[in-house]
Amino acid sequence: MEKKFKRDLRSLEKVFDFIDNFIAKQGIDHSIKNAVYLAIDELFTNMVRYHPKNRNDISLALKKEKNKVIIRLIDRDVEPFDITKSKDPNIQASLDERSPGGLGIYLTKNVVDNIQYEYRDRMSIITLTKNLGRKHV
Amino acid sequence: MFDIRMKDHDEVALSGRFDAAQVEKARSVFDQLTTTTVVDFKELDYISSAGLGVLMATQKRLKDAGHKLRLKNVTGHIRDVFNIARFDLIFDIE
Repeated sequence: MEKKFKRDLRSLEKVFDFIDNFIAKQGIDHSIKNAVYLAIDELFTNMVRYHPKNRNDISLALKKEKNKVIIRLIDRDVEPFDITKSKDPNIQASLDERSPGGLGIYLTKNVVDNIQYEYRDRMSIITLTKNLGRKHV
Repeated sequence: MFDIRMKDHDEVALSGRFDAAQVEKARSVFDQLTTTTVVDFKELDYISSAGLGVLMATQKRLKDAGHKLRLKNVTGHIRDVFNIARFDLIFDIE
């Protein structure tokens, strides 16, 4: 399943509906839902925030392969940002030293099993793999 | 559908999905808090880093005034996200 979403945080409700639809159609265990929501929500939100003036929609594709779900987000006409190389926040720090920055990608890294980043033709292509059959966040 | 309401003068209840599109609505309540307040997660189904950011910013502001947020009914997905973000180190979780 693939769909394009308007670059707007208000699109998140439609993104969640799309994920619900995919999980129902594929007969996937419902317990995976929040992990998939979180992984996609965080990346989609970053794409909206970091390129607010970009008029291109954001593409989201979901596919089930054997015992895994493959998630692909494509952002067009953007500068590269390899999330696999982003620095993790210091989650052990005191409240005074902590800031919310960087938590989104960190959460995504923790709820999926593999992340791949590709940049070509001014497109950021992020592919996430989520294994089925284990405890999900 | 996200909602936030004051249950009492010192308790806030969250419900639904707390994502980046809900930050403004949430802040309209959290920014008004001036004393130690309980946040009830019983009806909250989902939270993203945007929601965590609102909680963290409020905790920092209240701490400077000698107060804090106390979190209750943190279970399931919300508990798992708090564990990943190590919110147990910066919040009292009942």
